[in-house]
Amino acid sequence: MVSFTTAAPAVSAAFVASLVEVVEAFTIVLAAGTLRGWRGAVAGTAAGLAMLALIVVVLGPLLDQVPLQSLQLVIGVLLLLFGLGWLRKAVLRAAGIIALHDENAAFAAETANLGNTITRGFDWLGAVMAFKAVLLEGLEVVFIVIAVGAGRGLLVPASLGALAACIVVLAIGAIVHRPLARVPENTLKFAVGVILSAFGVFWTGEGLGIAWPGADLMILVFAAAFLLVGLAGVAMVRRPSRVITS
Amino acid sequence: MKLLREVVSGLIKMFIGDIWLTVGILAIVLLTALLTGSGAVPPLFGGALLFLGCAVVLLASVVLYGWRHRDR
Repeated sequence: MVSFTTAAPAVSAAFVASLVEVVEAFTIVLAAGTLRGWRGAVAGTAAGLAMLALIVVVLGPLLDQVPLQSLQLVIGVLLLLFGLGWLRKAVLRAAGIIALHDENAAFAAETANLGNTITRGFDWLGAVMAFKAVLLEGLEVVFIVIAVGAGRGLLVPASLGALAACIVVLAIGAIVHRPLARVPENTLKFAVGVILSAFGVFWTGEGLGIAWPGADLMILVFAAAFLLVGLAGVAMVRRPSRVITS
Repeated sequence: MKLLREVVSGLIKMFIGDIWLTVGILAIVLLTALLTGSGAVPPLFGGALLFLGCAVVLLASVVLYGWRHRDR
């Protein structure tokens, strides 16, 4: 029986992380579809999703062959590298040291890359652009789903969390038909960085043979501690607001 | 070929965003593994070292980057 304390962070991490990645992929697919025609963009998206499915189908059974403790150690270390990397970037963005990700700017950049030739037939440039976006952003989703799901038999709930994010973004995207620039991306990245880092410490420790007191509850303790560390980091490097004197 | 290169580069960037953060995390994991594996410290002490080490590496990476780029 999967405990709520393990399942909730895993599913929410998969959902929120996927939300961030799918929004980024959606911006590029939208640019490709709008400028180069939807046939190529949809075909590229479908091909990208098929490639991701193939990776999961091939990788899934292979992971079952790896002893659990080794799997937890490897995934734990990868989660630490990935999660702390996201948290670091989110802290620097929240502190105003590096610029926030702007979906409208990303859409404009992709639009400039694609040119403004609207094609009627199948457009390979648009298809490749969409394929690449879905594959590259999707790889991060696949890693997160495997990372938070594999060690505790939570692959299906984590996958459902990711799928729910895809459905939410596509549904909103279909309605508004423009980049989803109002998604608080850095806040979401901050939250995901915190959760993944917590999972990373927990599983690396388990992989090294550390029996955590409170078992899965320690994930929540680590998450709370990483949240405080992240907020402290923001406070320490926050760019002072400029005082305008007349 | 270019696409494959971009995919590989994307995969590497997923785990190595900042080289010093990566080196710091790996060093902490290695130190924890050595200390707990050899029995030099109790496992829970190793766990505390792992968490605190990661927290310190994160803060150091943020603060150093922040100070270096603050006035740009």
